[in-house]
Amino acid sequence: MASLSEMYDVGWEEMRDKLRKWREDNCRNSEQIVDVGEELISEHSSKLGDDIWIIYEQVMIAALDCSRDDLALTCLQELRKQFPDSHRVKRLTGMRLEALERYDDANKHYDAILQEDPTNTAARKRKISILRAQGKSTEAIRELNEYLEQFVGDQEAWHELSELYINEHDYGKAAFCLEELMMTNPHNHLYCEQYAEVKYTQGGMENLELARKYFAQALRLNNRNMRALFGLYMSASHIAASPKVSAKVKKDNIKYAAWAAAQINRAYKVSIEMSYLDSTFHCFYSFFFFIGY
Amino acid sequence: MQYFMDGELSCLAYVKMYLHSCLFPRCSVNGLLLSSSSAGGAVCVTDCVPLLHSHLPLAPITQLALTQVKEDLRVQEGDQKGRREPGCRRWPNRLVELLQALVSRVPLPVLSPVDFCRLGTDCCPFLSRIMLRQWEETRDIASQLLESGDHGLLVDFDGHLDDITKDWTNQTLNAKIAELSSPANGSI
Repeated sequence: MASLSEMYDVGWEEMRDKLRKWREDNCRNSEQIVDVGEELISEHSSKLGDDIWIIYEQVMIAALDCSRDDLALTCLQELRKQFPDSHRVKRLTGMRLEALERYDDANKHYDAILQEDPTNTAARKRKISILRAQGKSTEAIRELNEYLEQFVGDQEAWHELSELYINEHDYGKAAFCLEELMMTNPHNHLYCEQYAEVKYTQGGMENLELARKYFAQALRLNNRNMRALFGLYMSASHIAASPKVSAKVKKDNIKYAAWAAAQINRAYKVSIEMSYLDSTFHCFYSFFFFIGY
Repeated sequence: MQYFMDGELSCLAYVKMYLHSCLFPRCSVNGLLLSSSSAGGAVCVTDCVPLLHSHLPLAPITQLALTQVKEDLRVQEGDQKGRREPGCRRWPNRLVELLQALVSRVPLPVLSPVDFCRLGTDCCPFLSRIMLRQWEETRDIASQLLESGDHGLLVDFDGHLDDITKDWTNQTLNAKIAELSSPANGSI
């Protein structure tokens, strides 16, 4: 079977740069990382210099995600040889045990790391991930709350906690977590939109009004957020339809809903025109290709 | 509330459920099973509409998705001679009706969780006995589409909201599954 570099006519430098970009963007495209990384490691490892070690780590985690234990073990063994006492490598050993569902053994590894270094946040978060994997949501929530009392600035943890609360239908506490995230990330439209969805789900006039405001804020930050557009329409329409609101509130919300509907209509019209243009472009391109341009 | 009855799961419905779960192996997913049944008769699940792969317990997008599916089915019933168009092309014409339906008190269909960890013949807990015509061929079609990477063709409603040019009604995939399951291919 042809290698990736032969199929796509790319050199080892491009493959290395692609892996770096995926690392920096924190992409979880594990199948692609395994395909590219495995070829890079097996055929070009001598050219990579010190980059090889971070690539081993990246490929190992992706391999665990794709159930490629053979590849994960190969990468782990290389890392263990190079960094025998490293906590970072011990964490990877623990992750491999988690992938094999040997949770007790994994916990022992993480406890050993925490005994040597109680401030090791990665090991603590892995222990919480084990609870989540085992379906022990209540314990995971408790541990994550204790973790956040000490490491209050950990945004990944706040987001994880909000997801846990949403899954448990504890929307009030999920909203609190999202408020913490919005305070530290005021320009992130996704947090505003998610907060609005939680408020909408909670229901009641006050929550609907908050939902409408935060859908609108999400749109201010990103006017192409379709979920926020629909959310704005739905929340404004529900408020306008309520018999408890004043005439002014009703009129304002009808206006907001009409605006949102017009924006949705426009977005779909543009998308259809683009898909027509796109198919036209492909026809032209095929035509020119056929006649030898 | 659970309903226990005999039922049949079509190849199309099963394969799309399977591919939806394979496309998002790290997430919980949900979707709508479309069925027809006569009063007191067996349920025949004819199709599946993949809906969400994120924030399943939140209301707005679920409400939007269910309303859109209901509108789409209503249009299909009324449009007997018209050419079937992808959902995204119908939006501007039916937008007003859809948006009105969103805020009206539209009764929601009953949803039943399907255990995707048991993607075999016992995957639908609301059906006490489930019949899959040509189970081996159905399973082969699902595996073939997964191995060829065609599960990437599937678009759920979440994916449609991320990129509204994508067709959540999955016409291309439906055609592929129909082709693979047609008698000409030695199947059903």
